[in-house]
Amino acid sequence: MCDEIIEQKIDITTSVMNKNDLFAAENRGFLKGKGIYTLNLISSPGAGKTTVLESMAHYFGSRMAVIEGDIQTRRDAERIEKAGCQAWQIETGGACHLDAHAVKHAMDQMELDSDILELLAIENVGNLICPSGYDLGENLRIGLLSVPEGDDKILKYPSLFSTINVLVINKMDLLPHLDFDVDRAIEECRSLNPDVLVFTVSAKTGEGMEEFCDFVESNYS
Amino acid sequence: MHELSLAHDMTRIIGNVLGRKVHLDRVNITVGPLSGISPESLRFCFTEIAKIEGFGEPELVINQTRAKLICLDCDTEYEAEDFYQGCPDCGSLSRKILSGREFTVDSVELEEGED
Ligand SMILES: Nc1nc2c(ncn2[C@@H]2O[C@H](COP(=O)(O)OP(=O)(O)OP(=O)(O)O)[C@@H](O)[C@H]2O)c(=O)[nH]1
Ligand SMILES: [Mg+2]
Ligand SMILES: [Zn+2]
Repeated sequence: MCDEIIEQKIDITTSVMNKNDLFAAENRGFLKGKGIYTLNLISSPGAGKTTVLESMAHYFGSRMAVIEGDIQTRRDAERIEKAGCQAWQIETGGACHLDAHAVKHAMDQMELDSDILELLAIENVGNLICPSGYDLGENLRIGLLSVPEGDDKILKYPSLFSTINVLVINKMDLLPHLDFDVDRAIEECRSLNPDVLVFTVSAKTGEGMEEFCDFVESNYS
Repeated sequence: MHELSLAHDMTRIIGNVLGRKVHLDRVNITVGPLSGISPESLRFCFTEIAKIEGFGEPELVINQTRAKLICLDCDTEYEAEDFYQGCPDCGSLSRKILSGREFTVDSVELEEGED
């Protein structure tokens, strides 16, 4: 008689991020096929992501489309539309980050076939932790840090600042009123992330924005 | 915290592989120190989600790995337990990450009587 041994341990060996990474790869291929270069903007709430995008809207006009990620409301998308760009709002309904599937779903409903469209900017949910683990299919991951947040934030949020391609330090117009040490922030970011590129801007006054937009454009043109 | 959505993803993966919902005794996972995941927060979320999703009350066994890095300043290959541990030879934090971002569901063990 041969007792059948029931295998109680079952192998799974699956990366939890696998599903997101597959959608991200699909998004990247889809956007490449359309000739659209894609940005993922990540910062804490209120660092100025939407204001930076409004300023970029003046530079790029209808060459840029925007996906807005917020927990609730269409407010940011309305601001972008007013600034002259196509905008799609994702309301995550509580989720603290965007994922590649939500972005794919948004893209399915947007008008991305236009010949003049060359840039898609995705504004992630305001959060320095959770968005960092999710590849959306972007070509450039941009971390935004604003001067009032303090120059010590970079080493406190290494999972974000070690994975960005570009650091944008925003609200430079407020620098005279604060003790933010720009060199310290840049140095700490480089220590985690030696290849990072840094721009200092004020989305409000426009200072540094043209240089930043020139750089974004130079990546694909 | 996104540990809640990751706990959902874990039950979805387990459900897909098993093809059904059964009570589990243990769930074995691997979490790298550069994954951005807080193991204790994940454990808290997973315990709740597993119960709600019909997988019983499995013990979550977390294999916490060390990151493998190469120093970009002096080429030393080293291991680290977090983002801040620099090169043991020269102290530099400039490095190439070879591993440490992993987060996998490795295996599950069924409760006795479930098959
Ligand atoms: N002084 C100054 N204020 C700025 C600048 N950029 C943005 N702000 C202000 O900062 C506040 C927040 O800006 P938003 O652009 O809404 O920030 P956000 O990152 O999109 O915020 P969430 O989407 O809620 O995460 C607004 O009151 C802006 O006017 C800047 O360069 N200088
Ligand atoms: Mg915004
Ligand atoms: Zn070294």
